[in-house]
Amino acid sequence: MIPMQHFLVLSGILFSLGVYGVLARRSAVLILMSVELMLQAVSINFIAFAVYLAPEAFVGLIFAVFVIVVAAAEVGLMLAIILRIFRNRATANVDEVDLMRW
Amino acid sequence: MGMSEAWLLAGLPAGAFVILLLFGRYLPRHGDWLSIAAIGASFVLIFPVLADLLDKIHGGVLSAPGLSGWDWIEYAGFRLRLGFAVDQLTIVMLVVVSFVALMVQVYSVGYMKDDPHYGWFFTCMSLFAAAMLTLVLADNFLLLYIAWEGVGFCSYLLIGFWNERRSAAEAAKKAFVTTRIGDVGLLIGIIMLWRATGTFDMREIFHAAEAGVMSQPYLTTAVILIFAGAIGKSAQFPLHVWLPDAMEGPTPVSALIHAATMVVAGVYLVARTLPLFELAHPAALDLVTGLGLTTVLMSATMGLVMTDVKRVVAYSTINSLGLMMVALGSGQVAAAMIYLLAHGFFKALLFLSSGSILHATEKGDVQELGGLWRKMPVTGTVFGIGVLAMAGIPPLSGFWAKDEIILSASQHQNAFVYALMALSVFITGLYMARLFILTFTGEPRDRHAHEHAHDAPPVMTVPLILLAILALVAGFVVFDQVGDALGFPGGIGKFVYIEAPEAFKFHGAVAAVSIIAALAGVLGAFYFWWGEARPAKAAGARFPFLYALWKNKYYMDDLYQALIDRVILTLGRFIAWWDRNIVNDTGVDGSAALAVYSGFRLKFSQTGRLPNYAFAIILGVVALAIIAMIVFV
Repeated sequence: MIPMQHFLVLSGILFSLGVYGVLARRSAVLILMSVELMLQAVSINFIAFAVYLAPEAFVGLIFAVFVIVVAAAEVGLMLAIILRIFRNRATANVDEVDLMRW
Repeated sequence: MGMSEAWLLAGLPAGAFVILLLFGRYLPRHGDWLSIAAIGASFVLIFPVLADLLDKIHGGVLSAPGLSGWDWIEYAGFRLRLGFAVDQLTIVMLVVVSFVALMVQVYSVGYMKDDPHYGWFFTCMSLFAAAMLTLVLADNFLLLYIAWEGVGFCSYLLIGFWNERRSAAEAAKKAFVTTRIGDVGLLIGIIMLWRATGTFDMREIFHAAEAGVMSQPYLTTAVILIFAGAIGKSAQFPLHVWLPDAMEGPTPVSALIHAATMVVAGVYLVARTLPLFELAHPAALDLVTGLGLTTVLMSATMGLVMTDVKRVVAYSTINSLGLMMVALGSGQVAAAMIYLLAHGFFKALLFLSSGSILHATEKGDVQELGGLWRKMPVTGTVFGIGVLAMAGIPPLSGFWAKDEIILSASQHQNAFVYALMALSVFITGLYMARLFILTFTGEPRDRHAHEHAHDAPPVMTVPLILLAILALVAGFVVFDQVGDALGFPGGIGKFVYIEAPEAFKFHGAVAAVSIIAALAGVLGAFYFWWGEARPAKAAGARFPFLYALWKNKYYMDDLYQALIDRVILTLGRFIAWWDRNIVNDTGVDGSAALAVYSGFRLKFSQTGRLPNYAFAIILGVVALAIIAMIVFV
């Protein structure tokens, strides 16, 4: 059987890629995708722990399902916001969108 | 109606006060009749209470004081009663307070007739009567303290009754602040007693003190602090300065509050707590005697040179209060209480008759009076009776009372104290007779005022005559036969006592000294001030230093004024500076300015750009992760 550490390493790599994407990318859509990457890294962690440490309890699995549902809802919301911004400003570059500035 | 309904005595004037305060202006005659009816009913109701008390005295000993009242606060084992108690001491005070209050209020109907605030005067008088009777009846120190401040507040209101006059407003403030100094001591003393015994109830505290709950230094400190309250209220040296100024109030107020009742509250307090003084270090009682004696001599000498009639009577009041303190310092409650009783009558008489003079001539200074005897025979007669009683000429009440005090001083104090007491009797005779001579005999110094002078209407003279009769005969209660005839267990010594009843003793030599001193004083006054008063002027020119010292009240007012100007105002300025600069500008405004400034600076961190926020969040997460690793791994 594959040791649990492999899943954790995979999850860590995915999460770091997501962080890198959020910080380095300037396109709002790509940032959103990076966030999704981070969320899925967390889901993998949940499932790995659930299967290896507490196989009788389904808590981790249920939690992963919740994360996916929340992520889907979030994507719907965020894409709508990004679309509105793009309509108004003709750009989706986050460096140029600073409406919340002091 | 017995001792268990004694709360009604204070309750009736309190009810009258509430009605007068709310509806006084709609009542006919502004409700003066209601106030008089309430205090009159209180006076009448004393007699059933007294009868009940006498029934409970067996073999000269009161089995238990008549308690009444309600539970006020009950919390976790702590119990405070809104409690009233009646014993012999209380009865003496009740008689003085309610009778003099009744007389003064009847008199005020004439004296205050055309005053624009006639109704307010009677409202205050009712409140005062209620507070004073509560003070006398209170069975615990907390209720006593509340009533104590209540009478002080009424005194403030009534001294400043004509507060459109600046001097009256100043005098009211001075009286209130000066007595407050003593009151703080009283409050601390009460708290100390409560801390040691866990109760405010006087009788429980006395029992606890006898059982030795408090160490002697602790108890001594507590009783001296309680005595501080009495110093302020009873105008003892060094807090006596407010009482002469309090004469700015209407004369009936001076008669009631600043002669017969409120100022003797201090004497009553010391008499009431005398069991504690006896248990404390002897220095406590020596302090009472010493300050009393100082007060007696200072006030008597100042009375010699003052020219305002009411002020001289005020100094004689301070003199009398000092005498009572000397009696208490000698441990003689009966002597103090008989003097208090007699003093209440003859001093109220003196004040009310000087009020009549003021009313008739509108002059209060002997330099503008004189020769009033022919115009005001009734006032002159009763004033003369008051003067002789105060001077201590037998057989007037003042003689018997003063004799008791001098006897107790001669038995319980050293010869020095006794000699000074005899001297004070001489000076008292001197200045009281001087007052009478300058006011009622000789040539009128102000023709116009003299021509319009006349005796007051009956509503004012009847109280004067009643008080004069009592000033004549009240002293006879020292005799056991008189007491027996009235149904008491004997003379006042057998009725009011701390340890054991005492039969009346007449000491020939002491009485002879006191009579000779008083007569010498009165006759000396005739020598000095009769007619042109040349010997008096010569004496004044001979001793200019003494004259200036007495005329300027031993410079104590100037000393206090300088103290206030230099020390208290300097301290006040420093505190004001501290408050403005440190507390307000630095503390309050400074912290607000800091918030504004840091907000101004920190707002630039809000760039509105997503990557900045994302970076901050990630930094935070990493920091938290590192902390968690340090803490948990």
